[in-house]
Amino acid sequence: MAEGFNTDDMLDVYLFENGQLLEQLQEIVLEQKDADRFDEDSINEIFRTMHTIKGSSGIMMFDDITAVAHKLEDVFYFLRESYPDDVPHLELVEHVLEVEDFVSNEMDKIQNGDPADGDSSEIVANLDKFLKKIKGEATEDDAPPQANASEGPKQFYIAPVASNDSHFYRIYVSFYPDTAMSNIHAYKIVYALKEIAEDLLYEPDDIISNVESSDVIIKDGFKILLQAQNSEAEVRQIISEGYTVEKVDIYECSAEEFAQGFHVGEQEEVHIDLESSVEAIEAKADASGGEAEKPAKPKIAPGDFVVKSKEPGKQKKLARDKPKTEKAAFISVNVSKMDELMDLIGELVISESVVLQNPDLKVPGLNLDSFNKAASQMSKISTDLQNVIMSMRMVPLTNTFQKMNRIVFDVSRKLGKDIEFIMLGDQTEVDKNIIEHISDPLMHIVRNAVDHGIETNEERKESGKKGKGKITLSAKTEAGKVWISVEDNGKGLDREKILSKARKQGLLEEGKPESAYSDKEVYQFITLPGFSTNEQVTEYSGRGVGMDVVVQNIQKIGGTLDIESAAGFGSVMSLKIPLTLAIVNGIVIETGASSFVLETGVIKEFVRVTESMMIHEPNGDEYVMIRGECFPVLRLGKWYNMKNYRESVEDGMMIILEVEDKKICLFVDRLIGEQEIVVKPIPSYIKKVKGLSGCTQLGDGSIALILDPGGLV
Amino acid sequence: MSETNELMDPTNATGTAVNEHDAQKGKYMTFKSGNEYFGLKIQYVNEIIQIQSITEVPETEDYIKGLINLRGKIVPVIDVRIRFKQEPFEYNDRTCIIVIDVHSTVVGLIVEKIAEVVEIKEEDILPPPSVRHVEKAEKNKYIYGIGKVGEDVKLLLDPDKLLNDGELAFADQANEPAPVEE
Repeated sequence: MAEGFNTDDMLDVYLFENGQLLEQLQEIVLEQKDADRFDEDSINEIFRTMHTIKGSSGIMMFDDITAVAHKLEDVFYFLRESYPDDVPHLELVEHVLEVEDFVSNEMDKIQNGDPADGDSSEIVANLDKFLKKIKGEATEDDAPPQANASEGPKQFYIAPVASNDSHFYRIYVSFYPDTAMSNIHAYKIVYALKEIAEDLLYEPDDIISNVESSDVIIKDGFKILLQAQNSEAEVRQIISEGYTVEKVDIYECSAEEFAQGFHVGEQEEVHIDLESSVEAIEAKADASGGEAEKPAKPKIAPGDFVVKSKEPGKQKKLARDKPKTEKAAFISVNVSKMDELMDLIGELVISESVVLQNPDLKVPGLNLDSFNKAASQMSKISTDLQNVIMSMRMVPLTNTFQKMNRIVFDVSRKLGKDIEFIMLGDQTEVDKNIIEHISDPLMHIVRNAVDHGIETNEERKESGKKGKGKITLSAKTEAGKVWISVEDNGKGLDREKILSKARKQGLLEEGKPESAYSDKEVYQFITLPGFSTNEQVTEYSGRGVGMDVVVQNIQKIGGTLDIESAAGFGSVMSLKIPLTLAIVNGIVIETGASSFVLETGVIKEFVRVTESMMIHEPNGDEYVMIRGECFPVLRLGKWYNMKNYRESVEDGMMIILEVEDKKICLFVDRLIGEQEIVVKPIPSYIKKVKGLSGCTQLGDGSIALILDPGGLV
Repeated sequence: MSETNELMDPTNATGTAVNEHDAQKGKYMTFKSGNEYFGLKIQYVNEIIQIQSITEVPETEDYIKGLINLRGKIVPVIDVRIRFKQEPFEYNDRTCIIVIDVHSTVVGLIVEKIAEVVEIKEEDILPPPSVRHVEKAEKNKYIYGIGKVGEDVKLLLDPDKLLNDGELAFADQANEPAPVEE
């Protein structure tokens, strides 16, 4: 049915929509992985998701994805209809994740232009087994409750609410042999009948997804089982003979025969001609029996027929609903275009200040009233523009965090560790570029935490620890940085072990006693290439390639990794990542001949101090007493060994900075002013300088260095 | 080779790209530093600009003079004389910066005096003379050949080594793993 569409566009939409569906799916599944069972909404949601994926994959002819989605849909159909009590929940979760993995894997392949060649048979077989298992346990004691079937307004499946007014029809439609796309015409009939139907089955059941069904329809006719309140004449009016429909036969039949579908007396889903159904007609008075009585013929589970017959209808419906809601709300934009726009806006902001602070304006005697008015209007617009572009680029960390959730789940299950995973601040918004860069490092860290941070259940018991292993992933923004930390309550880093390994690898400095290494220094060893204290290489870690890659990747985006640990109590790995590319509000200061910029966010206040407020220690450290509080003083000029900076505290300016609850006083020569700055990285040719996080262009076109307060404190 | 890629840029008409490439072959930008003349393959040269205000970056090697703003792009500049361990010189308004692009690293070279663009044939390029003193070895490593132009000789620079020599790599290593605290 791809005729008339641009398949490339369709593929894009397919990948985009399914990608989102899979993300949602994973979120739902992981949210409830610890529960005893999925709640009703989730089951419906998973069912719908699988249904949509199946439908769209069918249209795109990705048969393996269709097959897998179909099977999982069957499983969830059963859950939805039957509410079996004793479903092994974790097993189910694994099955769902397995399917999710498979589908997203295939979608990756498709996206990369490779053929989607994954083999679905194993997963399908597994699911089959699982379905049989839960069915086997469920069918005896849990008769499928009928009422549940009619819930969910989106479902076309209408439960056979068999009131006495209902009539049951077998309808046989034959098309003219030369009818093209008879499956579509058949679908039109089905669609029309849905208006009146209480229950509706038809065969062939894959008229939408399978083009070949049109041949079958031509050859064998199109069969419909209809339950409705309408009379035969009314039904006949709906399916009128026309230029494609050669003949319509409508037979009224009993509820029992209706319930047995097309396949009376047969156990397989094979094509059945009409005659055998007719033979099988048995009269039975009890009309309310419906499907609930079906277990008498256990292998023809009622669900099997019903699910299939309603699929095409629903698929069509979703396919129509989706574009309306989603297409209007989102368009996907190439990130490089966003970057370009971002750069351009950055340049605009700078040239704006070049214009507004132009020395030509300083000529005395100029009347600038209307200029200033226009200028302030322009500043407002450019500020708005910046805010918009910034918000466009910001993405919440939710997806990244969900990925971690998944990893914790997978790895902990495989290692047999009982781990609780807590996510905090997953709504924290971060620049899109940054998200792409932190996903991998974060994955390593989380994996490490599960694998060798948290002890095995036995070890925990032995060491007398109460409760489950716990991993907390949290994110926040502070002082223009994103802080992401992974905290575990496991065994912590083993200082001795790391030191002995470091000694073996010859990393320790000659003549420096081991006790002279601070904990921080020791922990830094684990970030060196080839360093792993795990004696055994597991599937997840121990090869010693993890942490150094983590650190490299984080440094690439100007971030740092902090390791804290207490033996026996766990460790905390904190990533500190700058919000690069950001346009930030900065204060321009000057020391010596150089200009520096400080982010406004970290500045507490500016103070002028007198010599009497200073406290000098013999070792050269200085403190300043301001309103009874004592701050350490850092002279920027001295820190960077500059020339010609102001020595006397009374000539310069003290800036109180607060970073991570630490306060210092930064002594600079003078304040220049406030400016919005575009953070640009210092060219990589220049090695990283402590205390500098980037550079920017000032209004006059000169370059100022951006101070990183974290590096100064 | 990045410069070839650049020249073969599909946005250029293919014909001119080839011609340009041919035209650039064997051409060297020469400049004076100290008493010697140095040559740099012209493919590396992006442009030549006048000296402009340089923002110093603290705690870098002495030859890295700082950053300049090249039409919105921030470019580090190095002083070639100091790089060659020669006496520093006063910049004046005739001092030039040669902006070079070596494998996408854009760096400005502050040189005393731009000389000319000369053509040096392969056969006129000699390997650098064998090293006698350790001191000389230090200087020679940026130079991959000596080109003869008439009576003069030009020292041909290897820009890769000029920008990234062992010294620099070592400095990097020593700096990176150090815990950032204080």
